[in-house]
Amino acid sequence: MIALYLPGTSPIHRMPAGPKMVAFMALTLAITLLARGVWALPAVFAVVVGGYLVAGLGMRDLLRQVMVVRWVMISMLVAQLVFLQPLVAVANTGRVLAVIVLAALVTLTTRIPDLLDTTERSLAPLRRFGVNPSGIGLLLAMTITAIPVIAGFAASIREAQRARGVPLRLGTFVVPLLVMALKHSDDLADALVARGVE
Amino acid sequence: MALRDISVTLTERRIAVIGSNGSGKSTFARMLNGLVAPSAGQVRVHGLDPARDAKQLRRRVGFIFSNPDAQIVMPTVAEDVAFSLRGQGLARGEVAERVAATLGTYGLGALADAPAHTLSGGQKQLLALAAILIRQPALIVADEPTALLDAANTRRIGAHLLDELAQQLVLVTHDMRLAARCDVVLRFEDGRMLECGDPGDVIAHYEREHA
Repeated sequence: MIALYLPGTSPIHRMPAGPKMVAFMALTLAITLLARGVWALPAVFAVVVGGYLVAGLGMRDLLRQVMVVRWVMISMLVAQLVFLQPLVAVANTGRVLAVIVLAALVTLTTRIPDLLDTTERSLAPLRRFGVNPSGIGLLLAMTITAIPVIAGFAASIREAQRARGVPLRLGTFVVPLLVMALKHSDDLADALVARGVE
Repeated sequence: MALRDISVTLTERRIAVIGSNGSGKSTFARMLNGLVAPSAGQVRVHGLDPARDAKQLRRRVGFIFSNPDAQIVMPTVAEDVAFSLRGQGLARGEVAERVAATLGTYGLGALADAPAHTLSGGQKQLLALAAILIRQPALIVADEPTALLDAANTRRIGAHLLDELAQQLVLVTHDMRLAARCDVVLRFEDGRMLECGDPGDVIAHYEREHA
């Protein structure tokens, strides 16, 4: 779930967050348990594409979600090809990609506060076991909110490196990004405490 | 940075805190809402002990940080302000009304559905102010709120904090023009509070030593 809300008035937008998440979980289970072979993938992606069209979102929005996770999917496929038959590897990767893109459809069509409320309500029965529903809901919401901020850090680091003639290397990019992200999370924790979140 | 030998009672409405980098200004400010606890001595803010009454105190003290990006919790402007009202048992309609009214007060009404991270630095600080003030705290502590802002946004934020705020204000700042508009100025150096007094005098001493 990595996409930010896109306003709209489609049936999927108007669907309450709770039933939407239940539907997503049901579809995920169906894809995982029933769509075992590679020949089921066209049907699976037909459902995914149908979902985006019903939500009033175009193929560009769907492809954007695919592009965001392309390297993860490629790595997953390549790793599986070492141990599995090609068709099995493709089927597994295809199923995971379908679930990720469906998850993005949920966040594209649901406001974060509604996701927060639904998560808190559904986890409320677990309070007796020491689970903090509002904390988990907030964690989910802030993970999504942090995406453009971290992307901004990555862009700043790359700009600074280009300005100093530093070639792009994993070490010189990841380390400062990690440091900035950790500093940001520290500052955000202080801001949350200051706003009364325990 | 350790603070030491500080004994002060502040009842003025506008309190400025100045000093060099690393002098203890921010540590002092963070003690006022319990983000930093003293290892010795007592801190009382509106009668409350930040160490013992932290939850109650944070309802009464609003804190604004220097980095506007680190204060945004929710994706859109309206959602971020509304977040401050979570857990208060208010109906959705009432939350929406209060959010709309607060955003209007700070000129952010037209940006209610805008992604918060796309706002300018000044707009983000106004958003932080709106998110704090919707809870109607009794005291605002602002730790260098204009540090990352240009001159126009500094004037804008300064006007909101110094001219329009009904609450008591503690303003940590390097901007002597803002400090000069306060009722009292505290000067820190090396963890100690060197002076507490008339803005004109304290600022003049500070500028003479750092000329």
